[in-house]
Amino acid sequence: MEAITAEELQKTFKVKQKKKGLKASLATFVKTEYKEVEAVKGISFQVKEGEVLAFIGPNGAGKSTTIKMLTGILYPDGGRMSVLGLSPTRDRKKLAYEIGTVFGQKEQLWTHLTPYDNFMFFGKVYDLGEKETVSRIEEMAESFELGSFINTPVRNLSLGQRIRCEITASLIHRPKILFLDEPTIGLDPVVKENIREFIKKLNRQYNTTIFLTSHDVGDIEKLCKRMIIINNGKVVMDDAMDNLKYNYLNRKQVEVRLKEDAEIKLKEGVQLIKNKGLERRFEVDTKKCQVNELLSLIDGDNIMDVNISNIPLEKIITEIYKR
Amino acid sequence: MLTEVKSEIQLLLLTVRYNIMREMTNKAAFTTNVLFMMLNNSTFIIQWAVLFHLKKEIGGYGMKEIILLWALAASSYGFAHIFFHKAFSLSDLITEGKLDAFLVQPKSVLLSVISSSTSPPAMGDLLYGFVLIFFTGITPLKFMLFTLFTITGGLLYSAFAVITGSISFWITRGDLIAMNLTNTMVNFSTYPDGIFKGLIKVLVYTLIPIGFYIYLPVSILLHLNLIYLGLVFLVTVIIINIAFAVFYKGLKRYSSGNLMSARV
Amino acid sequence: MRFDNCTERKKIVVKNPAKKYYYIFRVSFMENLQYPLNCILGFLSYFIMIFLFFQLWNYIYGDASKVIAGYTRTQMIWYVIFTEIMWFGTRNATLTGGMSRDIKSGTVAYAMNKPYRYPLYILSKYFGEIGFRFLLYFLMGSIMGVVMLGNIPAFRFTTVVWVLPVILSGLLVNSLIRICISLLAFWVEDSLPFQWIYDKLLIVIGIMFPVEVFPKILQPAIRLSPIYAVTYGPAKLLVDFSFEVYRQVLLVQLGYLFTFSVLLLLGYRKGVKKLNVNGG
Repeated sequence: MEAITAEELQKTFKVKQKKKGLKASLATFVKTEYKEVEAVKGISFQVKEGEVLAFIGPNGAGKSTTIKMLTGILYPDGGRMSVLGLSPTRDRKKLAYEIGTVFGQKEQLWTHLTPYDNFMFFGKVYDLGEKETVSRIEEMAESFELGSFINTPVRNLSLGQRIRCEITASLIHRPKILFLDEPTIGLDPVVKENIREFIKKLNRQYNTTIFLTSHDVGDIEKLCKRMIIINNGKVVMDDAMDNLKYNYLNRKQVEVRLKEDAEIKLKEGVQLIKNKGLERRFEVDTKKCQVNELLSLIDGDNIMDVNISNIPLEKIITEIYKR
Repeated sequence: MLTEVKSEIQLLLLTVRYNIMREMTNKAAFTTNVLFMMLNNSTFIIQWAVLFHLKKEIGGYGMKEIILLWALAASSYGFAHIFFHKAFSLSDLITEGKLDAFLVQPKSVLLSVISSSTSPPAMGDLLYGFVLIFFTGITPLKFMLFTLFTITGGLLYSAFAVITGSISFWITRGDLIAMNLTNTMVNFSTYPDGIFKGLIKVLVYTLIPIGFYIYLPVSILLHLNLIYLGLVFLVTVIIINIAFAVFYKGLKRYSSGNLMSARV
Repeated sequence: MRFDNCTERKKIVVKNPAKKYYYIFRVSFMENLQYPLNCILGFLSYFIMIFLFFQLWNYIYGDASKVIAGYTRTQMIWYVIFTEIMWFGTRNATLTGGMSRDIKSGTVAYAMNKPYRYPLYILSKYFGEIGFRFLLYFLMGSIMGVVMLGNIPAFRFTTVVWVLPVILSGLLVNSLIRICISLLAFWVEDSLPFQWIYDKLLIVIGIMFPVEVFPKILQPAIRLSPIYAVTYGPAKLLVDFSFEVYRQVLLVQLGYLFTFSVLLLLGYRKGVKKLNVNGG
């Protein structure tokens, strides 16, 4: 079964035009002026169970609006959608038992309680029996290594520990889909890695579908097998990460450090991006010019160091955003 | 259905308990708030001492009855703000789009929203009310009734706040209307209804149900009347139902996104 | 052209420094003019309070011709109308929570760099904010009074002219008191409880009843309190003008203006010193 199906979702907002001043305030009483903002202009996609998906786009692209529609917070103006076979609009409450959400920095945990007490609380929220809740807690505490701090009040935990507990709390009811919004924002690299492992394990062990929104390219790269990019209310790219990289793989970055300064003649398909001192960075369109061809343009004896890499994902995404 | 209601109430009680615990983590601030509110409330005695100095009875009440009135007003106000504090800032939550977080949860949106925080000074009000009634010649029956009316009054006041707060689903600046109406309820509740004549008296038993919130309960405490008692229950239940209905109707509008501003 | 440094140095003409406070007041006033709706809807609370007192005093007086503590029913209710105008028309967080926040957060320190004194700045800003609102309440309150009660007995429009300075200095005394209380934020965790105490005193002693209603023993103390200067004075004179009361009130007001100005200057200076020492 498809975990999520979205067909031609549409959402338009009517924004009241506020004007200042005495006259204008009274005028709005009589007739209000509205401006229509089309936030989502027909988005379609499907997500299979167990997928780890990145749902990204620039600010104002319609991401949060789409997620709000999928979780039942907002009603679409057009199109159809189905999440786990349910209609988010009609069966919001029923769906709530099957999904988990971790939205941004919004803390759901009681800070003066321990994670354990918090998990028990959320067990009650999701109508789990006490025995069931306890066994779930034990299971997840072991899987995610929470044992050492599960009985420390949340306000005394480190940020990384706290976020792990936040995510665990949203899993207490074994949701089939987890909507994650910026889970690693503001974290240091070690903790980020920690959280990413956590999410990967979650997906591996429980086959939870992960619907991730993040501006952190590292998250996307390390976690997601598939990426949907939306911009201006429409889907501009929907592809597996492998395909993406493959399509953009014809462009490579070559960084060369020279021993001595030298003029390097460029060929077609080669662009010089950075030229600082003895360092040169080239972007190569391998359809036009192979990497070894480029390297042959430089005197082999003059090469101190060379580094060949794919175009960074960030650049790929930024380019797509700009389209 | 019944198990659903039971689990909602259990969760509600647990939430309120945790709210209170959270506020108590700063013991100094908490105690100050409570004591201050109790002190603050006591100034009414000065006001009424002066008034009774001018006239022996006002609105059919003497000092003893006024103390009873004040006690119930304080305790039910306190109850409402301890359990359902957020009901009184519902307007702001609506206009700022803060209901979203509650919509993704499986529990009753209204209950989760209005019980999401508590007010420490309100505990001073509740305590004050209960301390005060001991000065009015209390009997076990009266105490039970007082507790009962604290609860019904608190529920009624909160439900009223939900109804007025929900106006913000439809009108801009509904928050001012809501605030004014709930404040009216509080202000009037500390004055005997005997001073009201004509249209106001009707108002107090209909649109702004202070009558069922405070006046009728007080008169029942003074002279037990089972019909009035039933009436208080009935009206409280009706208003609670209206509150739920209005809120969920407004919630539909909220979810269609057509409020004053786009919650993009 | 060459200027001799010592003798022909061009002097920078300093305009009247007080003008800048007028500009602050004006900007503040204009800005608050943009949001009339808040004002108008807040008036509902005022109307309800007055209505409540109307019912209360109607009941107590029973017969309209009675006189209590020297006030007829009409006078008594008009008294409350005016004192409540003082209460509602001046309620604003700038002098209380706003100032307390500025001090606590150290924002006050930034004011040191500016060419104005913070207390005067905050005062000008405040008056700009309440200016329109106070006028509105005064107007609406008066209209309401006339509708409910008819005219104030023995009232002439010239009375307003005489009482105007009393009203203004009443507002000033109130503002100074509030600022002085907020200054406590330099030394105390939270100055707001003290504001609430002042609020309560104001309500119980100054707003609900005129001085004469209180037991004779307490009256002299109340007449000397600043609340006499803030609410009682202006309201009494509007309701029942007499030159002896006028003199009394003005004297008390001047006394308090002086006292609180001095307190303000000393307190502010000391507070700022503490700030510099502790770094906020």
